Amino acid sequence: MATELLRGESGLRGSSIDALFHPSSVAVVGATPKQGHVGYVIMVNLLGKFKGKVFLVNPRYDSINGVKCYKSLTDVDDEVDLAVIAVPAPVVPQVVADAVKKGVKALIIISGGFSEVGDEGKRLEDEVRSIIKDSKVRILGPNCIGVYNAENGLDTFFLPEDRMGRPPKGPIALISQSGAVAAAILDWASRRKLGIGLAVNYGNKIDVSESELLEYFAENPNVKVITMYIEGLKYPGEGLRFLETARKVTQVKPVIVYKAGRTKASAHAVASHTAALAGNYEIYRGAFRQAGLIEANSVREMFDLAKALATQPLPRGKRVLVLTDSGGMGIQAVDTLSTLGLEVPELPETMQSMLRKYLPPLAIVRNPVDVTGSATDEYYKIVLDSILPTSYVDMALIIALMQIPGLTPNLVNYIIDAKRYGKPMVVVSFGGSALMEKFNDALESNGIPVYATPDRGAKALWALVEYSRIRRMLREEVE
Amino acid sequence: MTHDLVVKALSEGKFKLLDHEAYQLLEAYGIPTPGYRVVSNYEEAIKAANEVGYPVAIKVISPDIMHKTDVGGVVLNVSSDDEVKRACQEVSSNVKRLAPYARVFGYLVQHMVQGGLEVIVGGLRDSIFGTVVLFGMGGVLTELYRDVSMRIAPITEDDALSMIKETKAYQLMIGYRGMPRRDIYSLVDVMVKFSRLMMDNPQISEADLNPVIMLENGKGSYVVDARFMLKPK
Repeated sequence: MATELLRGESGLRGSSIDALFHPSSVAVVGATPKQGHVGYVIMVNLLGKFKGKVFLVNPRYDSINGVKCYKSLTDVDDEVDLAVIAVPAPVVPQVVADAVKKGVKALIIISGGFSEVGDEGKRLEDEVRSIIKDSKVRILGPNCIGVYNAENGLDTFFLPEDRMGRPPKGPIALISQSGAVAAAILDWASRRKLGIGLAVNYGNKIDVSESELLEYFAENPNVKVITMYIEGLKYPGEGLRFLETARKVTQVKPVIVYKAGRTKASAHAVASHTAALAGNYEIYRGAFRQAGLIEANSVREMFDLAKALATQPLPRGKRVLVLTDSGGMGIQAVDTLSTLGLEVPELPETMQSMLRKYLPPLAIVRNPVDVTGSATDEYYKIVLDSILPTSYVDMALIIALMQIPGLTPNLVNYIIDAKRYGKPMVVVSFGGSALMEKFNDALESNGIPVYATPDRGAKALWALVEYSRIRRMLREEVE
Repeated sequence: MTHDLVVKALSEGKFKLLDHEAYQLLEAYGIPTPGYRVVSNYEEAIKAANEVGYPVAIKVISPDIMHKTDVGGVVLNVSSDDEVKRACQEVSSNVKRLAPYARVFGYLVQHMVQGGLEVIVGGLRDSIFGTVVLFGMGGVLTELYRDVSMRIAPITEDDALSMIKETKAYQLMIGYRGMPRRDIYSLVDVMVKFSRLMMDNPQISEADLNPVIMLENGKGSYVVDARFMLKPK
């Protein structure tokens, strides 16, 4: 019993999980010519995109759509690194036994019908555990949607491309407890060209857990930011392992977590005040803080923050230059920045008088610097070049409402040019014109994150400050 | 390493530590408590009150009473020898009337710390994360406001301070509206030592230090009441 519980914890089985993400060959067990079936979609995706060998396995066919089909994994006359299993749950133990015999390195068990449905499913899971006990094979799932790797085209998400877009290569990795949420995120990200280059959903995690996936992504040089969607941990004592792993990983790269299921009251007996006060979510929040995880309040916010952390340098302090062509937007930015503990310091008189020389008389030069509705691209350039490189500010929140006539897409070049000052910048751009779309795309493809509203841009800057704090491990002090 | 006090209480079949046992356990971990004596009659109580210093609280000691105040087992702000005598008689008759089943082992006479800010430090066991330490604002509205923060034990000094800063109670400690600054680092010390106590004694299933009274900066924090629930491991 004890070993069964440990099985779900990371790293205990020792052997690498690299084959789950970078196999040189993949077998699809349960490949089928029947359109709309899970095995069909996975087969089509892999045959069409995967940069490596693909083998089809199904005892009922000799070939599918002209591709040879094997009776079982053991019949494949070549090495198989990864097997993707999409067969009914009762058949899975036999397939796993074949995989062990064949020496397959890793399995993704897509099939549902295990512990999530009841005792019979639980028995099947235990059977799979005992089959792999003395082998080195690693298992993702069961009851999962698997892996998406934009780099090598490994894609076990069984949703057709016309239903679920695939995001481009990029520096963001996603670990999701929910398969459906992962699929929806990838679809959403693909429409926004957001680079979630790696995504994984781990289902019932009878072997590989979120802790081990975190560790693995921490070592992957293509991943700059890790995002996690979780609802709750599962195995007794597993929280400590997660805490220890996350503590190490967050010193290497930022991890953003969104935990759903925040309101469920804890089931602790209420003999003490403490137990009455301790909600399940509060415990997670405490653990996240200790581990140096950055917490987001929604899926959208998670990627708002990820975008900034993936592209921007870390700030050396908390002081923000707010540069805007709208007073109202500037005020909104200041509201959120101060609530989050960031500062918008008034610029010194010397800086103010210099700005006054170059900006129109109605411009406000204290900070926020408001270049007003009569702004031109040049005004932005003047402010960025004269204030950003000084020791008065650590980062910039640039609000550019493209509705005003004086701004052109050339503003993008001035903003990109200011990257050389080595300070974080985010841009707030709100509206719906084609011009604005072009402006936003140009900024994002040059590594400047764009947000629709000031509060979202401000929160992104907060995440950079927060990660700065986590990395530098500043001592906590009383104010 | 479980403390002898806990081992002994378990061997006696107790499901919680008695008040003076709780204070002894806190003292063993260097956690400050106000001076107290255990007595069995009012003559001893008067002597004890003069030793620990007025004002004092008189509390019934019984393994069978969960909430002492519910059965009239506590008298606060007792400030003279006559009042001590009356308080002992009052507690004794209240308990006889409202909790006739309870075994009474005596009275606790405890010096009362005056004029501080009340906060709660607590501990519990979570099946996923293990030992959890809680910090929150004290007083009757605690559960309404849920102004609490938690960390997984063992906690560091930084963890403790960031727990405190996460709550609104922190604003009260650093001088909200002219209120005196509280001794925050002494509270950090209590929290770190308490986390160690919880780690060393897995047989404690839940614990409340409620209230912990924070005095002005430089004067320390005292655990005024403590509850340790036990479960054999």
